[in-house]
Amino acid sequence: MRKQDFKDLLMFLGAPLLTLAIFVVYPIVATIVISFTKGGLSFTLENYREVLLETIPLKALVVANPEPYPPWGALVHNAVWILIAVPAVVFLGMLLAYALRKTLGSSFILGIIFLGMVLPGVVSGLIIRFMFDADIGIFPRIFALFSIPILSRTWTIYPQSALFALILGSVWLWLGFSVTLYSAGLDSIPPSLIEAALVDGASEREIFIKIIVPQLKPVTIVVALMTIMWILKIFDIVYVVTGGGPGGSSTVLALIMYTYFASALEYNKAAAVAVMLAVLTLIPAYWYIKMILGSEKQ
Amino acid sequence: MMSAKQNRLIIPALALSIIALLVSLYAVVAVQSLAASINELQSSLNELKNTVSSLQQQLAKLPTQLPTPPAPKVKLVVIGPWSGDEAKYFQAVIDAYVKTHPNVDIEYRTMRAEDVAAVMPVQFAAGVAPGDVIFGWAWFIAKMGKEGHLVDLTGVVNEKEYVPGIVDTVKADGKIWGAPFTMWLKPGFWYRKSFFQKYGLAEPKSYSEFVQLLEKIKGIQGVKNPLATGDGVGWPISDIVEHFIIAYGGPQMQLNLISGKTRFNDPSVRKVFTDYIVPLLQKGYFSEPTEWTTVIPKWWAGEYGLYFMGTWITGMVQDPSDLDFFPLPESKGVVGGADYAFIPKYSRNVDAAIDFIKFLATEGQGVHASVPSGKIPTWTKVPVSQLWGPMQSVYSKITQRGMAILPDLDDSVGGDWQKLFWDQLKLLWVNPGALDSVLKTLEASQPKP
Repeated sequence: MRKQDFKDLLMFLGAPLLTLAIFVVYPIVATIVISFTKGGLSFTLENYREVLLETIPLKALVVANPEPYPPWGALVHNAVWILIAVPAVVFLGMLLAYALRKTLGSSFILGIIFLGMVLPGVVSGLIIRFMFDADIGIFPRIFALFSIPILSRTWTIYPQSALFALILGSVWLWLGFSVTLYSAGLDSIPPSLIEAALVDGASEREIFIKIIVPQLKPVTIVVALMTIMWILKIFDIVYVVTGGGPGGSSTVLALIMYTYFASALEYNKAAAVAVMLAVLTLIPAYWYIKMILGSEKQ
Repeated sequence: MMSAKQNRLIIPALALSIIALLVSLYAVVAVQSLAASINELQSSLNELKNTVSSLQQQLAKLPTQLPTPPAPKVKLVVIGPWSGDEAKYFQAVIDAYVKTHPNVDIEYRTMRAEDVAAVMPVQFAAGVAPGDVIFGWAWFIAKMGKEGHLVDLTGVVNEKEYVPGIVDTVKADGKIWGAPFTMWLKPGFWYRKSFFQKYGLAEPKSYSEFVQLLEKIKGIQGVKNPLATGDGVGWPISDIVEHFIIAYGGPQMQLNLISGKTRFNDPSVRKVFTDYIVPLLQKGYFSEPTEWTTVIPKWWAGEYGLYFMGTWITGMVQDPSDLDFFPLPESKGVVGGADYAFIPKYSRNVDAAIDFIKFLATEGQGVHASVPSGKIPTWTKVPVSQLWGPMQSVYSKITQRGMAILPDLDDSVGGDWQKLFWDQLKLLWVNPGALDSVLKTLEASQPKP
């Protein structure tokens, strides 16, 4: 390498690399080091063992004991969240985007749906609280009309319904992102495909299932992966709406990390949860990056 | 496509990244060992600082002929939990101090005790403090004092001049780390006098009369529940439970639960729940937990008959003269708790901060109690006549009944047990059948004596 090239390299990469090293790499490395130490600098897996086996309801990652309702820890809550919210966000987003294409004033409706995405987490949390409040919430009032007492009360204060209220609230929040991506995806489908199907006598349902859904596959993967990553690190709405309760029935990984950090002041354990959270988020992130790079190559 | 030149740059760039990673790793290890050395150095410096300041104090006591120079301008940052009207009442205290100390400029910032406890340990560990005088939970102050982050206030707070026991919670290693400010009380169930008059209701004189009163209120048209349950992070429910513990388990049970001598799964504690709290929950006398501030207008409008809350409610209702309260008839004590202020060792104006905290702990309390803050002083030298009118009647009602003022259970224990306590009680409130599980969970994490 010529001397001039090396100077250019230092000039262009030096400052950003230094900034990254101080503000990104150092905190990451420090968190990892702290998670494997306890008191001194000697290596230990004790923090990981303790956080995984913890059974106090507000700190439990796997199983809480004695049993609240239901007796699961934060990892299971996150998994349930993914299992319910991801299909809901994908399906509703696709359906809404498709339906709104042919609806008058769709931009306005899209704007309203997107509102959930731009609101600060704390505000969204408060709105979710109101949505599931027995007196003014839309969900309990709808179920009250059908005389279903178990769902006409305030969802967020009962251990059986608190997590589901949060999940439904998060679907509303994330739907704006999903609908926006699907709308852009729909615009990229060549109209000739649909026209040809119509000429061949295909129904709207067949067009949607056999043309639209397969054509939107790359968008679906992006929406699903991004939603999983978002759910894994969800914190703000849980903190505001239920605080992980009642009885630890709505704890999530990020909240457990915060509890160790801010309430218990156990920084090593907080770092251990943070590392676990980061590793779990890296899995969908890896697939996402792989997909992006793959499409760039194509 | 990348140019050949760009290709040549990739390897050095990767090498630089790896070097940066390795340097970071080294830095983590180096910084941690450096931090330990800095801590040692800091404690030596502090010892030196204390010696210098005691020498200065001794010098100041010596008679001098020199004229006193004008006091230099000082800015203090005070961090407290009050906002809205409550901040306005605290501002009255600041104004009173600044009036006599024109060289001191005070900036007030709002920060909840939860946030103080969450954010400040990290800042203190880094040797910085966001304020000069900060209000926080007693357990947090004692913990930070013990860890060496706070200024010792032993010489500033004269324990004998305060409500007995109120300073104990901010003591650690034989030193006082926090200065008590005014005190709130959680005296019992509040009601509207006009509501009681309208429906011919009277304060109960026994537990059976209390249950009868609840039944009467339940029968009134428009009443959702006889008792409103406030919710927030969880403390309003814990206050109700503590009131029942003091009334039917006795004041000593409250103190023993704080110290951990009595465990939550003890039969005597369980009896308070099974004989009193759980039956009331099962009969639907308590409302669902609802955000505590939004309950106030509903209760005032007659949706609920009684509301268990602290004395600060006197400053939150439309007409305090229509307000009265009664404790559970058998109760021999009420929970009272002070707000405590402390000075971080890292304050840039320790001397000015000490002077202000001294004011807060003494005359300042008189100022705060004279406005509608709903507080009473912990400094016994403030005359009752100086209290705000409605608080004078609250105070006299409590003293006439000879009730002891006891520390708040969850505030005293603190830490993450406090959050667990709140959360488990919320669970109990909506699922009284979970009592055994709740008590077992609380006992498992309850600090040992």
